[in-house]
Amino acid sequence: MNAEFATAGRKVRATFLRDARLMMSYRLAFLLEWFAIVASVAGLFFVSKLVPASSAFGGGRVASYFEYAVVNVAFVTLQTAALQSFENSIRNEQVYGTLEAVLSTPTSVSLVVLAAGAWAFTLAFIQVGLYLVMGGLFGLRFDHVNVGSLAVFLVLAITATVPLGVIGAAAIVRFKQGAPTQFVLSRAATLLAGVLFPISLLPFWLQAVSWTLPITHALNGIRGAFHGASLRDLSPDLIWLTVATLVLLPLSLFVFRGAVAHAKYDGTLGQY
Amino acid sequence: MADFIEVDKLTKTFPTALGIVPWVRNLGRVERRTALDHVSFSVRRGELFGLLGANGAGKSTILRILAGLVVADRGTVRVDGIDARTSPLELRRKVGLCCTDERSFYYRLSGRLNLEYFGALAGLDAARLRERIADVARAVDLTGDLDRRFDAFSSGMRQRLGIARALLADPEVLILDEPTRAVDPMHAASIRAFVRDELVGRRGKTVLLATNVLDEAWELCERIAVLRRGRIAAIAPPSELDAYAGAPLRYAITIDRSDAALLDRTRAVAGLLDLQVAGDAPNVRLEVVLRPEPHALTELLRAVSANGVCVSSVRPQERRPAEIFADLVTEQSDER
Repeated sequence: MNAEFATAGRKVRATFLRDARLMMSYRLAFLLEWFAIVASVAGLFFVSKLVPASSAFGGGRVASYFEYAVVNVAFVTLQTAALQSFENSIRNEQVYGTLEAVLSTPTSVSLVVLAAGAWAFTLAFIQVGLYLVMGGLFGLRFDHVNVGSLAVFLVLAITATVPLGVIGAAAIVRFKQGAPTQFVLSRAATLLAGVLFPISLLPFWLQAVSWTLPITHALNGIRGAFHGASLRDLSPDLIWLTVATLVLLPLSLFVFRGAVAHAKYDGTLGQY
Repeated sequence: MADFIEVDKLTKTFPTALGIVPWVRNLGRVERRTALDHVSFSVRRGELFGLLGANGAGKSTILRILAGLVVADRGTVRVDGIDARTSPLELRRKVGLCCTDERSFYYRLSGRLNLEYFGALAGLDAARLRERIADVARAVDLTGDLDRRFDAFSSGMRQRLGIARALLADPEVLILDEPTRAVDPMHAASIRAFVRDELVGRRGKTVLLATNVLDEAWELCERIAVLRRGRIAAIAPPSELDAYAGAPLRYAITIDRSDAALLDRTRAVAGLLDLQVAGDAPNVRLEVVLRPEPHALTELLRAVSANGVCVSSVRPQERRPAEIFADLVTEQSDER
């Protein structure tokens, strides 16, 4: 068993290095991504000057719009990584023509797909860090952060959104086209998950939709942790994300394996 | 020698159309076309076995089933007793797929980084991987070029890197899918020599070679399976494939003398299609064309050698591989 874990670890590491090297081989695009973060934080800072501070931004405590938005925009990066990394890994392998070469090795398809998250999440965490550092330079305060709550919600933010990305990858394997999950959820997150404004501003029926999205609860928890809330204070979101993880993670792997089995039966695994 | 690869009644169908529209149009039924129809063959350990067939005959489907990329509808594939359906990962440890599609590598990585990635996926640890990369790079003569980016590789180098990748985990079976496609004649010859002398000769690998280059198959393979529309049309050593083609058999027979009676007796042999006589005693050359029937040659020799005529040689006149292949894969071969 230990040998199997060691082998799987080597495969994940190799995939991490491959993805990092491939991304950094496009130097200009790589540099521009960092510049986009700086520009985004600066943009939020100046927009926040138009919006008065409110308790709606601080979960009861009066906070600035900048504090509210920069934390959301930073941490929604994790959802973007979860949604895009798995789908993109399959799509890129199909387009590069490397998918069949990869899958002819003694590596399970699930590992091939999940390993793609290694670099994507590492990069996402570095980007979150840059958002927060930039936020700090523009006045974001960290003195109330409940580190324990933040760590738990970071883990749950990933585990509850990864299944959506895996289901998206299954859609790519099955239908060969850009899966709807990435588009729908990334747009929905901006509109419905309270990334740019509190969901209390939405009509009631849209608030109901918002509460079904994992990212809404993840951002609630992360923002709460930033304002010093304990896990007990955040227990509704904690329970929701835990249940979502326990239900969605095995379901997504089941759906993904089904899609691969179907593609192998139809002989379309390498097609795009 | 025991069978190492066993393919038994392998049957595979593919959908004729993909997507939701044909699915709705056919009320949920998916029409499928047959790619392989009860294909059976076996390959011995250490054998260089060829798969020949026109485009769409089913060669690649067999290779992809062996590599675990496609699942068969029915039938079994076993390598050293390991079933492709029940133990796909274990099977892939035995088999190295050399898909020589140039797009099967990461263009923006060097040859070495490509090999490091695929070697890790094959389960090699860092020390073993370094050792294997050095070995396979030496074997395919790429040691000096391994740190160049893949997009700077020539077609021949890309092909050789494909072989190197297939060899990384030192698999017992190598599947070579058109290994000399898009390679100049000089490099093609060196790849062929490498396959025959190094892979099979020195390293004792079992090689399954799919190719459209007939001379290559004739030169390299101990046996060839010719596929026609998903079925096996013939399996035999190259020198014996002619008999499967059902084409007339041609022989040059040298005898010490000839006369009218001998020629009459010879012409009376059932199955004789043509007889030409050249030369004088003691080296009379008979060029005969026989129907591919059992005992036709025996009957002919019996007629020729009567009355003390001495037969000094009987030489089969071999046809070119292209002629034999055409006979095996065209419609007429069904009618024979």
